Amino acid sequence: MSITDRFNQFVGKTRYVVSRIFIHLQGNEVAPLLGILNQNARMAVDTDGDMEVMGECLVNTCEGILQYKTYWQSASNEGDVFWNEADAGDFVTELFTDSGQRYLSQPDFEEEEVAENTPLSLPVTDNIIVMIIVAFEGELSELETDLADMEALTDALKALINLNYKQNYRAIAIHFSPARLGERLTSDQIIINFPELIPL
Amino acid sequence: MFKPVIAIFLTIILSFSTVACGSSNSVNTNNPATFTNNTNVPKNNIASGKYPVQQATFNDVDGEYILMLLNTPSGSNPTFRTTNLQMARLTDEEIKNGQQTFVEINGNEGIMHLTEDFRIEYVHNETETVTNSNTGKQETVVVRQQSSFWSPFAGALAGQALGSMLFRPQYYVPPTFQSGGNLTGFGGYGNTYDQAVQSYRTNNNSIPQVEKNRQSFRTTGTIKNSSGNSINRVNTNSTKGTGSGVGTSNLKTNGTSSKVKQPSSNSFGSNKSSRTRPTTSRRSSGFGSRRRR
Repeated sequence: MSITDRFNQFVGKTRYVVSRIFIHLQGNEVAPLLGILNQNARMAVDTDGDMEVMGECLVNTCEGILQYKTYWQSASNEGDVFWNEADAGDFVTELFTDSGQRYLSQPDFEEEEVAENTPLSLPVTDNIIVMIIVAFEGELSELETDLADMEALTDALKALINLNYKQNYRAIAIHFSPARLGERLTSDQIIINFPELIPL
Repeated sequence: MFKPVIAIFLTIILSFSTVACGSSNSVNTNNPATFTNNTNVPKNNIASGKYPVQQATFNDVDGEYILMLLNTPSGSNPTFRTTNLQMARLTDEEIKNGQQTFVEINGNEGIMHLTEDFRIEYVHNETETVTNSNTGKQETVVVRQQSSFWSPFAGALAGQALGSMLFRPQYYVPPTFQSGGNLTGFGGYGNTYDQAVQSYRTNNNSIPQVEKNRQSFRTTGTIKNSSGNSINRVNTNSTKGTGSGVGTSNLKTNGTSSKVKQPSSNSFGSNKSSRTRPTTSRRSSGFGSRRRR
């Protein structure tokens, strides 16, 4: 801890932590997670992003990811500590934009003529990437560390769930790719767009 | 425990004495941190104490109370602005003794003691959320302002079971705004502001207008306009997969383009892609898995 940090702590300034976690799940059975993710995202949209509802969404998402622990493939995280609220807010905005540009937010859909009475078939994705951005006040050692490790990541997700019931988050954002069942994310696309991922 | 504190003090004292001996322009290099004032806290220059209140205004765009005070010392501004105001009702005895509405000021906080019929001017901002089509961010825009009056302790409430609690200073949140007609009572109360918001939430199943205005919501992808039951095929010849995102924040942001915070943050060029963004490594307090490389 640098002298500046110690001094800020000493004079009682609020410490803001902004953190982003990437989790990459791989396997033939990961696709149902998309259902959890979409359900929560729609819940957030319906309430116009009420922080309490977003907190619930974060908890559901983290619990969902923990359930699929066997499929965790790689992960990465980054974050920063601020002593100024506006700087933290800017960083959250920056991370949101950066996460948003890693996938197609406006895909062009292919018109596909499906003949009547043919069985419906959907391609199932092998890969899902979830990006979680949170900002909160105080200190959380489980998050402020290297999370490219099975144990550390488990602890971090549990800590995120616990934190929701201890205090309010100041910002929560959840991104995921692909968007829906029937859409795919290939390994090549991951290598191109998520170069920082580290295998677990 | 005391060792680091003493060490810091010695460092500070030593650095000051060095400055005193050396040239004065070395100050800037010694202290790279800037201690900017938090702009959220309004500046008041009124000495702590009790003052009668002439008029009170509450603005629900930022939750700020503006009090016009009487008997302020000469030379100080008679308006007191605060977002941290507790309220309590004057007891009947105090009113009988001719006590008027007054406020106890302590720094930037205040405790206002109100008569039953005291009316706080309530400025309601009709807001609209506009979605910025470029970023997908929803921004709150004030469409028009309406003004009304709010009497927190008027009416039947005072005599009810809550009665005795009203005389203790607590935080209050105004009731839901209705145009035309004055507001009486309160939407929520509590020993802390958060508790007051929480009690408003249990009563109304939503958050107060003030809190709504503080929060910004953002979505990307198709989550907002997807019906959920249609199946589309996406062109797979793309370098990116599809995706969606939602996010809420109630953190303030720097209104203008960000000022230079760290010496290294003003770098620019094609290398400043997200991959090589120096945010994690340029600060000693950064953390993350990328740091070990």
